[in-house]
Amino acid sequence: MSLRAVLLLVALLALALLASLALGEVHLAPGEILRVLAGGGDAMTRTILLDFRLPRALVAMAVGAALAASGVLMQSFFRNPLASPGLLGVSSGGALGAVIAFAFGWASLSMWSLPLASIAGAFLATLAVLAIAREGASTEHLLLAGVAMNALFGAATSFVLTLKAGHFEVGGQILFWLMGGLESRTWEHVAISLPGVLLACLLVLPSARALNLLAMGELGAQSLGVNVKRLRWELIILSTLLTALATAVGGVVGFVGLIVPHLLRLAFGPDHRRLLPLSMLGGAAFVLLCDLLVRTLPGQLRLGVVTALAGGPFFLWMLRRGGRP
Amino acid sequence: MIAASGLRVEGRLRDVSLELPAGCLAAVLGPNGAGKSTLLQALAGLLPAEGEIRWRGEELRRIPFLDRARILAWVGQESHADFGFPVREVVAQGRYAHREAGHGEDGHGIEEALAAFDLTDLSDRPVTRLSGGERRRVFLARALATGAPIQLWDEPTSHLDVRHGLEVLELANGLKAQGATVLMSLHDLRAAHCFDRVLVLHKGACVAQGPPDEVLTPEVLLEVFGVKARLAQDLILELPR
Repeated sequence: MSLRAVLLLVALLALALLASLALGEVHLAPGEILRVLAGGGDAMTRTILLDFRLPRALVAMAVGAALAASGVLMQSFFRNPLASPGLLGVSSGGALGAVIAFAFGWASLSMWSLPLASIAGAFLATLAVLAIAREGASTEHLLLAGVAMNALFGAATSFVLTLKAGHFEVGGQILFWLMGGLESRTWEHVAISLPGVLLACLLVLPSARALNLLAMGELGAQSLGVNVKRLRWELIILSTLLTALATAVGGVVGFVGLIVPHLLRLAFGPDHRRLLPLSMLGGAAFVLLCDLLVRTLPGQLRLGVVTALAGGPFFLWMLRRGGRP
Repeated sequence: MIAASGLRVEGRLRDVSLELPAGCLAAVLGPNGAGKSTLLQALAGLLPAEGEIRWRGEELRRIPFLDRARILAWVGQESHADFGFPVREVVAQGRYAHREAGHGEDGHGIEEALAAFDLTDLSDRPVTRLSGGERRRVFLARALATGAPIQLWDEPTSHLDVRHGLEVLELANGLKAQGATVLMSLHDLRAAHCFDRVLVLHKGACVAQGPPDEVLTPEVLLEVFGVKARLAQDLILELPR
């Protein structure tokens, strides 16, 4: 059952990857793609695939896996299936960093400056979270602190945005970024996101069993042998890292961390030993497919808009069901 | 056996000392807010408390988490569940500290624990789809599955129907016969006679402890619980033999 689920998701991810490599303004046949990946093919096809589609697809997968895994961690941490990766203010901190980089013109200086500014913002938010958590704050306290930080970073972002409202180009860039997107992502973006996401995903997997206990109650988990204090630190650090990396290369992409874990929980149960790897695979496939829609549908669709269009109605439906699968 | 001396939790527990031998069934009594849950959590090392808690002469809280979980099991008063784990998986969590390297939980005693709390038929049901009393039994079964020789249960019989409540007491008696120490908090003073020892807490302090018939005097009942005891013909409920 568990193996079948993993194979199913791997197959889905492989199909999504193949589709996003093959489809676009120039359609490529699977044979051509394989030829290029094996080192052959003509120069044009090589450029399309290796300089544009492959890095973009890899970034999409990193963003999706990171957000979905981060969502699972936050839901387990807050013992609430409706918790999302941005709950503690990390993605709005990352957004503020990026917006400042746009506003001051740093973004155009180098490929690295925008993601790094975003990571710096997310890091600032993380430090604030850790400072609050270190004082032994309860889960409820952290949740409220997250609400406050989201409001704070949101206000600062709006402030910077109004400063630049007259500059249409910069204002437009900022707005686009706040809606999430993966256009013209390069191997630099892959280098920024993928290794960190893979590492965090690997680090979190051994804690899956302890997460199961935590999800049934903190004190109970501790009495059964889980070092809850250490586990909570691990969860905060790894989930903020994952969210920060995803925001740095993908902008603000909502709902992935909410709907992917939730759907998979409905289908395969809440056991984190299954849910964590499945969410990583499912999140990667979901963002790949959403980005494929962004690329192939007419009009100016943004990634965050597509994920929210898929996620919003689902969220409401979940709330109507009481949010408890 | 477990012994505590001078247990103190700021504003909640004042200098409570106790000593419970192996093979002992004990109850903590007291009105709401007397410190029953605090005492059980402090003994389980789940909240910071001053004083000593000794198990076989060793300070219990200095024993690493995993080792401690094989010595002591605790069941809280809350039996809320947010995630729909199947009953059997929750009970299997009791074996968390017993896993062998690379093999997951050893699975020992899970079927027995399910059967002991009448959960065998519910074992595949998500815990979110149980009644409060059924869920309480799941958490008790999880504690039983640990096989820990010290069992601390916070109001295990509340939310349970008469029969399952009596079964919990009988089960605790069975554990006692196997040499375990069972300490539970309780509101039903009429069940106190089933216990070897009772501790009466009042405003965070232990006002009396010992065998129930010596401890639950009319004076204690009036002072601590504000009730007057009157002997009367009572409806006696027990399990059919």
